[in-house]
Amino acid sequence: MPRVSDLASRFADYVRHRLPGVADVRVDELERIFGGASRETWRLRLRTRERSGGEQDRRLILRRDPAGSLIETDRRTEFLAYRAFHGSAVPVPEALWLEEDPRWLEQPFFVMEELVGLESRPQMLLAPPYAAHCEKMGVQKWAILGEISKADPAALGLVGALPAVAPDSAWRRELDHWEGVLDADEVCPQPIVRAAIRWLRRNPPPPAQKISVVHADYRTGNFLFDAEGNVRAILDWEMAHLGDPLEDLAWSLCRIWCWARDERRGGLLPKERAVRIWEEASGLRADPRALHWWELFSCVKGQGIWVSSAREYESGKNQDAVLALAAWMQMNAQDRAALELMGHLS
Amino acid sequence: MKPEIERVLEVCAVALMGDVAPHVAPAYRQASVFGTALLLTSIREELDRIADRRVEENRALRELFASAASVVADPDLRSRLAEAAAAGEPGFRISALEARNARLRQLLIELHAHVETLASPEARRIESEIWRELAASTVRRRLSLNAF
Repeated sequence: MPRVSDLASRFADYVRHRLPGVADVRVDELERIFGGASRETWRLRLRTRERSGGEQDRRLILRRDPAGSLIETDRRTEFLAYRAFHGSAVPVPEALWLEEDPRWLEQPFFVMEELVGLESRPQMLLAPPYAAHCEKMGVQKWAILGEISKADPAALGLVGALPAVAPDSAWRRELDHWEGVLDADEVCPQPIVRAAIRWLRRNPPPPAQKISVVHADYRTGNFLFDAEGNVRAILDWEMAHLGDPLEDLAWSLCRIWCWARDERRGGLLPKERAVRIWEEASGLRADPRALHWWELFSCVKGQGIWVSSAREYESGKNQDAVLALAAWMQMNAQDRAALELMGHLS
Repeated sequence: MKPEIERVLEVCAVALMGDVAPHVAPAYRQASVFGTALLLTSIREELDRIADRRVEENRALRELFASAASVVADPDLRSRLAEAAAAGEPGFRISALEARNARLRQLLIELHAHVETLASPEARRIESEIWRELAASTVRRRLSLNAF
């Protein structure tokens, strides 16, 4: 990783390359922030002066690939998803530049606008001023997810950019992928999640009602909110793909995101109400049997992410404390969530 | 060792959270210090039970294998279950207990998948025992930090 001063200077060089019309570029207030463990996230201030005299002063976010991360992701996917939804009913920051050439900052990166003064940490929902707005945020959270599910991937320009999948094989593709992640990264035997995989294969869900854009990590913690309880931006699109919209709904309802240690999913709303809001917003139906399948699948996917985080930490590629914490806390919680869904949690 | 390891870890975690983290910048580094303190807190919680839960679980798995061996149709699996059921612990070093636990849990996966294919009431009984043991295994591993 380059030093902060080097990074600022190299990013300024990149901006000069990207914006040949500018006469002066200043990059300062560069600071690494916590933005998940799958990308390095930096906040910065970019001031430019054009040859014509016009000046711009922008707060930006730079997301750079690390050597190791929780999730094997594709930065182009994340960038395209931000671009596709910008200006729609799904609030997202404006994505500015995608750079895949490592000569600039050693790793590929992309740049987007910073939305200043907002919060994303789930634990903040437990105390004022946010705790009073949980219901309001929950209504928005699942209504926005309904909008994502309802959106036409072709109209968004994402067909062709994301791998196609048929309605009757979306479940198999996802299950094969995450079972493969477990096979590759499993650091210790996982009897509960292996039993879940066998059950999922014996009891496949009905075909998807439609093929939607699936955010794939839609949960409290991955959106920005303000002190008045307004959801202002959906973040972390790095696992986005085309698939069954129930995949997102199920993941958002997963037990391990019950931050308030009660029945409210994502620390915001009871499950039944969240599902109803999603159904109304999306115009789709959450068939209980199909939703149950996707909820159990969420446990397989979650365990895939947690064992990968343990593997990354043990390998030394990324020893961020969050990787070890995620593995210690969530592997057990994910197992308990799977047991509950299979009717075996004592 | 005196002072007790748990006590030392507790003091270190509290110091990191209360004395060190507030003075660390930028926010990313501060979050990393908090994360490290939470890791120490979890280690403290795990330390007292670290051998006990592995010994208890390995014993439970061996008893389960002994109970299941007569139900299993596959002779190779039956033989491996009987062998695992008869084996003792390799010692009380955590690394040895953990390696033994991993072997036993891998065998449990095989047993579980096998009994799911059998139709007898005895197979259902073993399957119920397996689920009970799996539920118990999550209680043994649970940390107080967990939201669920």
